[in-house]
Amino acid sequence: MANFSTGDRKRKPKGDRRSTEISLVIRQTMEACILTHLMPRSQIDIYVQVLQADGGTRSACINAATLALADAGIPMRDLVTSCSSGYLNSTPLLDLNYLEDSAGGPDVTVGFLPKLDRVTLLQMDAKLPVDIVENVMQLAIEGCKAIATYIREVLLENTKQLEYRRGL
Amino acid sequence: MRLQNYGFRNFVGCGFGILLPMSGPVCLLHCRKMVGLSLGEKHFIKGGIDQNIRSDGRKRDYYRPIFVETGVIPQANGSARVRMGATEVIASVKAELGKPSALHPDKGKVVIFVDCSAVAEPTFEGRGGEELSAELSVALERCLLGGTSGAGAGIDLTSLIVAEGKICWDLYIDSLVISSDGNLLDALGASIKAALANTAIPKVNISAAASADEQPEVDISDEEFLQFDTSAVPVIITLTQVGRHYIVDATSEEESHMSSAVSISVNRKGHVCGLTKRGGEGLDPSVVSDMISVAQHLSELLMSRLDSEISAAEAEIGDDEES
Repeated sequence: MANFSTGDRKRKPKGDRRSTEISLVIRQTMEACILTHLMPRSQIDIYVQVLQADGGTRSACINAATLALADAGIPMRDLVTSCSSGYLNSTPLLDLNYLEDSAGGPDVTVGFLPKLDRVTLLQMDAKLPVDIVENVMQLAIEGCKAIATYIREVLLENTKQLEYRRGL
Repeated sequence: MRLQNYGFRNFVGCGFGILLPMSGPVCLLHCRKMVGLSLGEKHFIKGGIDQNIRSDGRKRDYYRPIFVETGVIPQANGSARVRMGATEVIASVKAELGKPSALHPDKGKVVIFVDCSAVAEPTFEGRGGEELSAELSVALERCLLGGTSGAGAGIDLTSLIVAEGKICWDLYIDSLVISSDGNLLDALGASIKAALANTAIPKVNISAAASADEQPEVDISDEEFLQFDTSAVPVIITLTQVGRHYIVDATSEEESHMSSAVSISVNRKGHVCGLTKRGGEGLDPSVVSDMISVAQHLSELLMSRLDSEISAAEAEIGDDEES
């Protein structure tokens, strides 16, 4: 995470606890969906640079990693998308920003495989009544599906550009 | 829904490392990227420079296309992103209230910090880029901030004082190297200049009638801002010596063959504000004087180009805000 990415300037851009935890989360999510058996004796390094952190940072990192892997042509089971949601003023909210996140309500991050319809990452902090958990998680999953559609469109557009440039 | 896609590097490599032999004197700084060039390619690059045609068609004293974008980090007081060819850096300026040092009670403080992102080079991961970051930070401070006494600073530190001896602005200039293809120092210097041009420092109202040892109450205005004055901020020109000639704005390929490099910061008046020589080869003093005059001449062109790019970028922000 860059020095200037958060509201208060961070002193250490690398190796701090939050960066390490987010790196671990991304790694575990990606390991689950990359077809590593197709690339034996190889190492895939994914480097993520956060320029601005305004809530939903780890979701943005996971979505960006998915796009980059697809751009690199690395075989994956499915596109992993991620979205966060919360619950403030008795309303489930999708994609909290920093202000809403610091308001004291829960913050649920979901990583989702849209085609396989499977949740790969689920994190929540703060308290949430048990009957509301389902709703909030479902909202985040809807967000993930919408992101997946958008990612697919972007990748298709990119491929069309490449085809055009290659003269196909 | 808008997605932020931060530039990525994917690196698929094998488990064992490959060491490439390097020929010629190369300073440690540039060994960070093992550019695997064959002998033929090396001769091609050197020969091209001798004949004043580099591999991308430029002459020895041409810069690559420069793109400047300001206001890229909304949370900072000022920010800019500069692209020189494939080298891309982002600089941000954050201002916080602090106490001036006892030695200079009438001056604010500026700290410059450079971070080399792993996205630029896989070797920058973790602590790999620390040495380079430290070298670049110190070189930038030398070029822009003047001596330890504060004399000859490109940035006017007295403009950062709020209450003499008690409260001053601390400027934290943070730069991030996103993509590295040579000539990092020039790009960083340009990005800092653009970020400072974009910087707006809030006005501070001090409550009067505070005794000499009390901290006065401050009221930081949310509405009124002062644009930072960047007319005295210098630009940095790096001249890289390859063979018998020196080139400006070297790519990382060309830098891997350099014998030495001199980075000179020159301000609008044509005065030299700082000088750094890197590289193992010794330079004849007459060569250094020649390099300085070349840098002074080139600085006028670079300065005017940067000024026009910065004002174009600022004007774009003004248009966006109005529309």
